[in-house]
Amino acid sequence: MEWSDLIYFALPAVLFWSMGAYGAWKEKPFTWTVGLTWVGLIIFGCFIGGMWCSLERPPMRTMGETRLWYSFFLPLAGVITYMRWRYKWILTFSTLLSAVFLCINIFRPEIHNKTLMPALQSPWFAPHVIVYMFAYAMLGAATVLAVYLLWIKKNEIENREMELSDNLVYVGVSFMTFGLLTGALWAKEAWGHYWAWDPKETWAAVTWFCYLVYIHLRIAQPQKPKISLYILLLAFLLLQMCWWGINYLPSAQGSSVHTYSLS
Amino acid sequence: MEMWKKPWGYKEGVAIGAGLVCIGILLQGTTGYIQWNNIATPINKVIGVAYLLSLCGMHLLRKRVYLFRWLSGLSSSITALGWVAVLTLFMAMTRQEPPGTKPIDTWGLSQFISAWYFVLSYWWLTTALGLALLNGLFPFKWRRIPFVLNHLGLLIVMICATLGSADMLRLRMMTRTGQAEWRATDEKGLLYELPLAIELKHFTIDEYPPKLMLIDNETGHTLPEKQPVHLLIEKKGNVGKLMDWEIEIIEDIPQAGAFFTEDSVRYTRFDSMGATHALYVKARNLRTKAMAEGWVSCGSFAFPHKAQKLDEQVSLVMPAKEPRRFASFVEYYTENGLRDTATIEVNKPLEIEGWKVYQLSYDEEKGKWSDVSTFELVNDPWLPLVYTGIGLMLTGALGMFIFSQQHRKEKANGME
Repeated sequence: MEWSDLIYFALPAVLFWSMGAYGAWKEKPFTWTVGLTWVGLIIFGCFIGGMWCSLERPPMRTMGETRLWYSFFLPLAGVITYMRWRYKWILTFSTLLSAVFLCINIFRPEIHNKTLMPALQSPWFAPHVIVYMFAYAMLGAATVLAVYLLWIKKNEIENREMELSDNLVYVGVSFMTFGLLTGALWAKEAWGHYWAWDPKETWAAVTWFCYLVYIHLRIAQPQKPKISLYILLLAFLLLQMCWWGINYLPSAQGSSVHTYSLS
Repeated sequence: MEMWKKPWGYKEGVAIGAGLVCIGILLQGTTGYIQWNNIATPINKVIGVAYLLSLCGMHLLRKRVYLFRWLSGLSSSITALGWVAVLTLFMAMTRQEPPGTKPIDTWGLSQFISAWYFVLSYWWLTTALGLALLNGLFPFKWRRIPFVLNHLGLLIVMICATLGSADMLRLRMMTRTGQAEWRATDEKGLLYELPLAIELKHFTIDEYPPKLMLIDNETGHTLPEKQPVHLLIEKKGNVGKLMDWEIEIIEDIPQAGAFFTEDSVRYTRFDSMGATHALYVKARNLRTKAMAEGWVSCGSFAFPHKAQKLDEQVSLVMPAKEPRRFASFVEYYTENGLRDTATIEVNKPLEIEGWKVYQLSYDEEKGKWSDVSTFELVNDPWLPLVYTGIGLMLTGALGMFIFSQQHRKEKANGME
């Protein structure tokens, strides 16, 4: 499996996800919409699995590789939300977002590189990144919902919409906490300390605190959803800095153990 | 709305945060950075106990003192989180001097973790966290378990990581093949004699197979510019493509020595120190049909590297091989009479009687032939407490995940 094979898996996967999304939008039978989305997930999962085998290491080192996981977890988070809540628009959003990340990978492919430096060869590596990507997907979905509620939806925000937002954030933040803490345990094994205020860690802390503000604000002021939704958008911006923005940040260059992803 | 009229809300919270930052700046200006090293055991333990007692005292006095009641509430938590987030954001945007080194400015910007205003805002957050926890803990309710786990875990981590930092020892030990070493130095160069000794038997670097790349003869840049391609040579007889060139590997000598004659160089098997990797390659340009062949080698401290010119524009080169594993084979002894052998690798530290021993560096000039291996030895007596806190937080996060599902189900059932 090579990067050049991506398009042969991405196109059918997006096609199945789109059919599922269309089905959900038109309120077609539940089993069909969910089934089609899962078929797409299996196809795309095969590509990730194939990459894992041919690289002989987990495909999580470069930005392009983590985008693969993000494109996979978005429809997964979407279909899980759909299965529980039956929001007819959620699959369309998750498919669109996933397609955007796939397009980035198809039009700006990363160079196939097998080597993995010793610092990344750890049993903590896979859970640390997978858990984070799943959290990012959940929080990405929450962000899209916030944009929809703040600017696209014309009517009043309904309670059940805010409950969905809360649930997405709860699941996202609990996974983010797993990611943060598995990272701390790994750091102790690799670098001798569980928290060293490395720039990536500092940004992760800021992002985590910002999501905690959302959670506490929702409990304190359930009747004022708009301010919480703005906090959610701010938190997602911080998350972007933490995820990839840091690679371009002058103050992080040469001092972060996490900026290898550009090499 | 007027300020400081009860009940206090966000405005008062923002004002309290601003007040703490001002006090912090004043303290920073008058007393300078917080010297964390000065609170080593037993001072940190006294501070810890006094702090926990004061939290309990504030909790018990919450009906009499409004400030204490407010501190445990949501508007205090939210504004404290906000202040902490903003200050941490400033920290994230400025270059930080590593802990233990001398900061380069007076006002705390180059080392936030020792700056008064940063620590005061975290102290407020920790206090709000502790008081909210005590409030939620009594009277005890089972459904508050995830809340208790999350908050208690974070409280333990924040208190113990901060107070314990002064007790943590991080030392460097340089070992040489065949010599037992029991002395190590800290970051200030202070010498410590340890209750354990390590003797380096052998150091090695395992490497990935070599790569071949093309470079521009004039600029020396790898090609194509910005997104250079490479070919990983995994076995002999490999044929691969680099841009327009078809590359065939005729001979692969992983342990090679170079022998120079007047006008040429050739490689043969060489199993001693300083051996390099050499490949004999044939290249054919699929477009221009140009041909070239010759030796390519990444070189070592003993031999220079060797490129092969393919045509007027490009040459074939082998960059230094990437490390797959750094490992030190050691024998260790302790004062208690323990004696054993072990392998210390990156990501696989050795644990001896409370010390963790990490592979840190080696003689980079000699690479895998290095007869020196440097270890980092870390002793953190507060680690079990911090790990307890992390464990509680992990369980709490799991609880939060499950609870959000249940919450969802209840609501869904309610709607049907």
